[in-house]
Amino acid sequence: MWRKFLTNRHLIKMVNNIGKFLISVLVLSVLVFTLSRLAPGDPLYAYYGERVEKMSVEEQDQARERLGLQAPLFTQYVRWLQRAVHGDFGISYQYKTDVKEVIAAGIVNTLLLGGLGFVLIFALALFLGLFCAWREDRLADRVVCRIGTVTSCIPEFWLSLLLLLIFSVWLDWLPSSGAYAAGGGGSLPDRAAHLVLPLSVVVLGHLWYYAFQIRNRLLEEVRADYVLLARMKGLSGRRVLYRHCLRGALPSYLSMMAIALPHILGGTYVVETVFSYPGIGKLAYESARYQDYNLLMVVSLLTGTLVILCNLTARLVNERIDPRMGVRSVSAGGEVRRL
Amino acid sequence: MDKVRECLKSGILCMLAEVVGMDVLTVKNLSVSFFRTEGEIEALKNVSFTLREGEILAVMGKTGCGKSVLCKSILKLLPDIAKIKTGHIYIRGEEITGYSEKQMQGLRGRFFSMVFQNPMTALNPCMSVGEQIGEMVRLRRPEFSGRERKKRVAELMELVGLDHAGERARQYPFQLSGGMAQRCVIAIALAAEPAVLFADEATTALDATVQAQILELLLKLRERTGMSIVLVTHNPGVAARTADRVALMRDGELYRIGDVEEIFDESTPN
Repeated sequence: MWRKFLTNRHLIKMVNNIGKFLISVLVLSVLVFTLSRLAPGDPLYAYYGERVEKMSVEEQDQARERLGLQAPLFTQYVRWLQRAVHGDFGISYQYKTDVKEVIAAGIVNTLLLGGLGFVLIFALALFLGLFCAWREDRLADRVVCRIGTVTSCIPEFWLSLLLLLIFSVWLDWLPSSGAYAAGGGGSLPDRAAHLVLPLSVVVLGHLWYYAFQIRNRLLEEVRADYVLLARMKGLSGRRVLYRHCLRGALPSYLSMMAIALPHILGGTYVVETVFSYPGIGKLAYESARYQDYNLLMVVSLLTGTLVILCNLTARLVNERIDPRMGVRSVSAGGEVRRL
Repeated sequence: MDKVRECLKSGILCMLAEVVGMDVLTVKNLSVSFFRTEGEIEALKNVSFTLREGEILAVMGKTGCGKSVLCKSILKLLPDIAKIKTGHIYIRGEEITGYSEKQMQGLRGRFFSMVFQNPMTALNPCMSVGEQIGEMVRLRRPEFSGRERKKRVAELMELVGLDHAGERARQYPFQLSGGMAQRCVIAIALAAEPAVLFADEATTALDATVQAQILELLLKLRERTGMSIVLVTHNPGVAARTADRVALMRDGELYRIGDVEEIFDESTPN
């Protein structure tokens, strides 16, 4: 079976895609590296804090020399790359420890919150979109649309505070902060209880935007000519929606979700702050704010890699769903229109 | 003598129907209106006609005179804003005017099918041709195994004159020419062996040669299956060549219906 799957064509495609992925990550690292150093501000502040002002110019230069910030940009980058390839991403100026350690503390929490949020948003939006498209312009659709519009307009921080007030202050059902109870050490039910509120905010804040997009994409498909033929076959309206329209709408939805991933992951920052949830959202913001170059590089590359991976997956899946997407892989006889 | 020849021509189904004396489709005083915010638009006014077993009826008229609405209102494929105001539709003597959507789903594809004007947009662009034909086969014969279904799809594709059926079945609509795509649509329409086929401007989007091929195909299929065809067209040549009878429409009214010779011997239709 594997032999059948791994024909030459597939192998070439795989190598091609891996190559593209590596090049994208490399270009991204160059961009982040250059841009972060072009931004105004002094990384010494991150390292020494207020003490910098009391240092003489020579001392400052020496400090820069020690941090490897005196060399030309290109040399700095090559040095960074050489170390990075071996898994050494340098130290964080702010926390004065290995970047990996700084990140390791929060990445699991953020990925858990963001990842779960992403999956939930993705699935619920699809479900809501399908439901609304199916009941288009009837009462259920209208009600859901109104509620959705209202919830998507509520600012995240306000919603967080509201939920905190209701569920942890008044009702005392759920914990108000952290990722696990102080002494408990993170048993599964405990972690889940701590996740409920932040997760609800992440999901509620984004859900309707995506549900509305898929609803409208589906309605576009519902109005297409082929639906008439599908209904002529004697398929029920629901089957036409699932089997025909969804298939047409899915590629654009998947692409949209692939781009949305960093947005949703990044959106966890506000939530992490309000709920004192130990994630890397805060790190990302602070590293950019205080020129903590090494930390910024790793955080950016992590999210960037995720986005590139998601886009790649979305494209591969889309080509399976709608063969017109794979412009180059189409064999003879296919006419794919391009500009 | 004439009668015998006609029966032989249209096959056994036709003969049976002649014996029983039933029309396959009867439309009586059908009026359909579109209710828009600006007001009511009368698309069909008091249309009556019958379709005999195994005959080809050409419905002619200018664009916008209600030909397509007539077909779609019989299949109940009109948008929500369109309503049947008055009238009755009978199939083989049974009234279906008040049928629910569920009941209509049972009839669509099995009792009547439809072929649309633009084959390139009528097929789902994201599904292979074989899958789309297979879907109809599955609806009609749910007991078929995957292999049997594939075999039936290949049969249908050969029936409508698509060669290399196995390979073609894996192709997508954008890989086909207009003529081939229309053949696929016809294959879908025929998959459940319907009694009535509505060809709604089925050849209008195609060039003259392909048009002739498709018409010939329809005639051939009529001989083989004995189905009746409602051929909607605005091309008098097409009607004269293929139809047994012709109905003329103008502004939502069906004002004249008769044998081909009768109609075309008179003055040219509008």
